[in-house]
Amino acid sequence: MSVIKNKFEGADKGSSQGLSHSIYSFLASIRFTVLLLSMIAVGSIFGTVIKQGGSAEEYLSLYSENTYRLITLLGLDDAYHSLWFYGLIMLFVVNLSLCTMGRFSRFIKDSKRRPHLPDERTLLDMEMHFEMDFKAQDEMNYPAASHEVSKAGQNRENLLGTNSEVWTRGAIMRSLEGTYRCVYKETEGAVLEKGSLSRYGVFVIHASIILILTGGFAGTMLGYKGYMVLRKGESKDQALIRGAQEKAQPLGFALKCKDFKVTFYPGGEPKDYVSTVEVIDNGRVVLEKKIRVNDPLSYKGIHVYQASYGKTPTFLFNIDGENVTLKEQDTYSKGDLLLMVVRFENTVHNFGPGVLIAYLDNGEPKTSWFLRDVERLRGKQLQGVNIRLEEIKEDLYTGLEISRDPGVWIVWTGFAMILFGLYINFFMYHRKIYVRKGSKGIIVAGTALKGRDAFKQEFAKIKGNLNGMER
Amino acid sequence: MAWNDRILGIVTLLYLFLFFIHILYFALRKEQIMKFMWVTLYVTLGLHTLGLLLRWVESYKLGLGHAPLSNFYESLIVYGWSVSIILIVMKRHLSFPIITLIASLISLFLMGYASLSPSVQRHIQPLIPALQSNWLHIHVITCFMAYASFVISFIAGLLYLVTWKGIIPPRDTLDEINYRSIIVGFPLLSAGILTGAVWAHYAWGSYWSWDPKETWSLITWIIYALYLHARLVKGWKGKKIALVSILGFLSVIFTYFGVNFILSGLHSYAT
Ligand code: HEM
Repeated sequence: MSVIKNKFEGADKGSSQGLSHSIYSFLASIRFTVLLLSMIAVGSIFGTVIKQGGSAEEYLSLYSENTYRLITLLGLDDAYHSLWFYGLIMLFVVNLSLCTMGRFSRFIKDSKRRPHLPDERTLLDMEMHFEMDFKAQDEMNYPAASHEVSKAGQNRENLLGTNSEVWTRGAIMRSLEGTYRCVYKETEGAVLEKGSLSRYGVFVIHASIILILTGGFAGTMLGYKGYMVLRKGESKDQALIRGAQEKAQPLGFALKCKDFKVTFYPGGEPKDYVSTVEVIDNGRVVLEKKIRVNDPLSYKGIHVYQASYGKTPTFLFNIDGENVTLKEQDTYSKGDLLLMVVRFENTVHNFGPGVLIAYLDNGEPKTSWFLRDVERLRGKQLQGVNIRLEEIKEDLYTGLEISRDPGVWIVWTGFAMILFGLYINFFMYHRKIYVRKGSKGIIVAGTALKGRDAFKQEFAKIKGNLNGMER
Repeated sequence: MAWNDRILGIVTLLYLFLFFIHILYFALRKEQIMKFMWVTLYVTLGLHTLGLLLRWVESYKLGLGHAPLSNFYESLIVYGWSVSIILIVMKRHLSFPIITLIASLISLFLMGYASLSPSVQRHIQPLIPALQSNWLHIHVITCFMAYASFVISFIAGLLYLVTWKGIIPPRDTLDEINYRSIIVGFPLLSAGILTGAVWAHYAWGSYWSWDPKETWSLITWIIYALYLHARLVKGWKGKKIALVSILGFLSVIFTYFGVNFILSGLHSYAT
């Protein structure tokens, strides 16, 4: 099969060179890029229209059973982590690497060749060119000018020829000097260029895409994302990793929440969440920081973010004259009574906040509501023990997001590089100017691959300046 | 009514006025009219900028203190503003009245939609904690400048498909304008996505979480990357490439509007 017909691409002659070669050239081809990128785009769309990471019930309430089976079969419930999506990205990396490396090696080979000065005919055929007739120079100008030339010319020019020719060429070279760099010189003329950095743009862009993907890969392989919930005063040394089965991830140090505050705007919208957190490493407090949204804590490569907050109630009971503080799920026993705090409700049938207590009545489980604002339901006798709900307090807790991502610096480097690459590729232009002695005078000609219109203007300006100097 | 509202109201009328100047040009074909059009555009942009600045000042008076980049209303106004900036940046390439005509209509639509639609919240809202970041400014501005460049690309792409002697610029010129605007838009979109990622890293702990808006901006980015390669490497020309740029802009619209109204995500413009 003849895969590639493009003169820009590496191997041109598909069919005759065997199967492995045509596979290679397909893998490195832009046609394959178009195919892969389109598939990645379409695959990504699935992930935005189908709910991601839902439960079986959620899907079955939205789709038929067969559709649901298809969704799970294709991994569309977690599209961006499915095998086919990773596969597409891997193929894309292969495609981009082969294509870029192939081009880069050819580029290096090309740039090792000596720049060459085209002959007079070629220069005069160029779209942008003009001639300066040195014989027409005003004789009076030479003495002053030739002094300058000999100064400037020591390292730049060792020209043969008449005074006027030397003068003209010196003047041209000097007028271009600020912006153009002389890359090649011979007795007949010189080649100058500028913006040659822009030729590296494509390689920088492509390499940084690979770098970004590598950094992302390093992050998923070597890092983790978890969370931690801390009440005021509480400390923990491990994060929880979400998933069907939550896993504990030791941090190597502990975090203690000293304080948590929420402030509000006058209208009631949240303005700021602040957790004051201590880092305790090896039993010592090494760091204290106020963590806010947009202002995480970083310690030993682990980042701690303010993510959410909530309230946990605590209940102050008076049990047979004794004050007892209990939280949800706590159990307590006294005499014959074994009780457990089941759950808290902010309003129980419009009677205000209440707490549900479970207890054993002669071995049989029973439940009973205690309501803070209803005197009759505030105190009760269970199993012969007097219990009274004295107070309900709501403590704030902070929800922290915890992540470790050793790849993030690779990604940042890639970001900076790709922007730099885009800049030099699109906003710097590689332009060449040839200066050559011709039969009628000195020929100045220019070429540019990109941004030709702008170059035409620049070239006209150069010509204007030189003509001005002539007079 | 606050000053910023009044000024932005005048700006909206000026975009309408710009549209009429173009109509006048097509009726009389006097070059001076287009000169006058550009002057009016500069004035409009100046007032537009002033309106945004006053809104910024106003937010400080309300004790909310933030740049006008935080809700859907403000993003529409900033979008219109970005379109004018891009027109002026690309002025050299845009000496075709039909293009500036359509662009001023699009600005008019954005401003009008912002100030008339009942579903748009117009008062200055407080900034939720996730948006309190300097990355907000650079992220929003780069994204909307990119979207504005793609407006020009879209216009050039559409006009490519139409023939109307004396009104529509030559096809090669349209192709060139299309490419130029994508050259401006693509790096800006890249910068927008990347600054968004850096911001997400500092706000949420993850630079990329496949939130629908992120994903759609990536899809948009891929489409324009395909445009560049199809044009440069595969040498696609003409209708095919114009269609790719139109597809790119449809993706921009979906990223901006569609995601808000159809899909939901982290981004605060979602209501
Ligand atoms: C999303 C991925 C990619 C992005 C963002 C990207 C970006 C770019 C950009 C911005 C240019 C310069 C275009 C111009 O100057 O008009 C370019 C050129 C090019 N790209 Fe890519 N590229 C990507 C993937 C690929 C892949 C996978 C291949 C190889 C199969 C490839 C091959 C090329 C080639 C051959 C050129 C032309 C260079 C030239 O002749 O100046 N690109 N790319």
